[in-house]
Amino acid sequence: MSILETKDLSITFGGISALDEVSINVEPGEIVGILGPNGAGKTTLFNVISGFLKSDQGKVILDGEEIQNLFPYERVAAGLARTFQHVKLFRNLTVYENLLVAQHRHLSSGSFAAMLRLPSWRKDEKLAKDLVEKMLDTINLRPWKDARPSELSYGTTRFLELASVLSLKPKILLLDEPASGIQQREVEALGPMLKGIRDETGCAIVLIEHDMGLLFSVSERVYALDFGRLIAEGTPDEVANDDRVLESYLGRTRRDSVA
Amino acid sequence: MSTAVETPEVPEQVIEAPSTVATKKNRRNQIIALGALAALGAVPIPFGDYGFFIGQYAAVYAMLGLSVTIVTGYAGLISLMPYTFAGLGAVMTGLIMTGWGWPFWLAAPMAALATLPVSLVVGMASVRLKTLYLAIATLTFSTALGETFFRWDLVTGGRIGWTVASPQLGPIDFGTDLNFYLLCLLVVLGLVWMTEGLRTSRLGRAMLAVRDNELEAQALGINVYKTKLAAFVLSGMMAGFGGAFLAVLLGNVSPGGYQSPVAEVTSILLVSLVVIGGIDRAWGAFFGAISLVVQSQVFQGARFFFPFFGMYSAFFLILFLLFRPGGLVQVSKITTELVKRRPVFGLAVVLVTVALNLGIAYIFIRAS
Repeated sequence: MSILETKDLSITFGGISALDEVSINVEPGEIVGILGPNGAGKTTLFNVISGFLKSDQGKVILDGEEIQNLFPYERVAAGLARTFQHVKLFRNLTVYENLLVAQHRHLSSGSFAAMLRLPSWRKDEKLAKDLVEKMLDTINLRPWKDARPSELSYGTTRFLELASVLSLKPKILLLDEPASGIQQREVEALGPMLKGIRDETGCAIVLIEHDMGLLFSVSERVYALDFGRLIAEGTPDEVANDDRVLESYLGRTRRDSVA
Repeated sequence: MSTAVETPEVPEQVIEAPSTVATKKNRRNQIIALGALAALGAVPIPFGDYGFFIGQYAAVYAMLGLSVTIVTGYAGLISLMPYTFAGLGAVMTGLIMTGWGWPFWLAAPMAALATLPVSLVVGMASVRLKTLYLAIATLTFSTALGETFFRWDLVTGGRIGWTVASPQLGPIDFGTDLNFYLLCLLVVLGLVWMTEGLRTSRLGRAMLAVRDNELEAQALGINVYKTKLAAFVLSGMMAGFGGAFLAVLLGNVSPGGYQSPVAEVTSILLVSLVVIGGIDRAWGAFFGAISLVVQSQVFQGARFFFPFFGMYSAFFLILFLLFRPGGLVQVSKITTELVKRRPVFGLAVVLVTVALNLGIAYIFIRAS
């Protein structure tokens, strides 16, 4: 059974169709790439899957459960996590505190337990700190643990964001352009890292990426979107050589002139 | 798992060493802080009953300030209702103590609980709004409660209100200025400790997260609406609890003190008090209250200058917002750093600042 399935997702903005009956499916532990020129509807698809946008029609099925009517935070509890195209972090909190916030769903103690330092609060804090310590080593963020996001390089904030969503222990992870704006050296490290995350945690990964090298090297299957419609699906090789994909990237006129 | 960024391997002992040093330092700092606090608590003693009254006043305003710390400092919601909730607590304390004849020790927690349904309903209706819109909404609710709840004679004791007796605990009479001062000081320190505890918890961190970035908070599985509502309700309860002490401090509760425009103006005063102290730390409310209450007393003595007091505090507030957004808490941190780095210069700066302040206060009092 697929871990994530979308059925005929459609959404229009002011008469323009941003998604048009998009159906994709992701198997457990699979890495799936999503390809498409700017404005193709890739991020819109992520927003609909993660609940930040409501689709006009269609279903989102996570691990056999329909989730299209849940709030974003409820979808996180169901095992779905996402990152944003532009890094969003808590700028007044340190790296360590950012990661503590990400442990929210693993904790349970209430406000009065914390105010009175009751044992349930103590237990929660110990659990949260243990989890953060582990994550600091997993993503190599320890040297920056007391820094605030504004003091980090853009690449490091990307990794902090990745560490935050990994802390949610998701079944499926949606990454929106994880390599944008980071150094080539870090981009090259990202591919093996994503595969490592998949192997270690078994979580499926869906990624939107403009860096074709990364997308094709890491994905096992690729979907191509254009004008809100799926135009191709298959292995990286198949999609890279698909006529319609080439057309959407290189443009019709040029292909016509070549023909 | 393969790690990505090529970061220098940090040797174990480099990580461990500073943290153990920090623990020892922390303990030393805690002792220093406790000593400083005890010294601060002893300041009213030479001034006698008048000093104790000012101390009580500052402590109660710090309690009310803490409600702003939670709702605005932690959760980033601009609420102009704290003083209305304090009034609710004060009126309930009057009703319970004078109307029903129950002791203060039951009345205070019940005053806090009494704010719960009101803050829940108001919160549900308004926390979806943001920034100025939320401020206006809470302002409206504050005025509306002033015209409804605070006109409910059965509860408020009518126009005259309730006379509130001092609390008693066995042989200890908190009617004396010294005893009530010590009680208020103890309670406010307890509440500061509780508010700091909230900051390092699941819900407290969720509030800070929501304040910084709602979208990211949602993406990390935080229920933004519930978190804001919790902040609003906890803040209301804190104000209600402080309201019980306010009732005893004033000795009587008359509803007029919590109606338009006093309620709104005092709520704004509470917000500025917390901003001056430091808005996102519990100690901010404590130091802000001391600074504001002491100043208002000093300037009150200076009859000629009193009309300029508003201008002076507005100027002061703007300076703080511009240069020290962390408030007095940030100032004290910077000063401590300075003293550590350059002890002679740092201490000289502290002495000059204190002397300057005392001098200004003296001149103002003499000139009146």
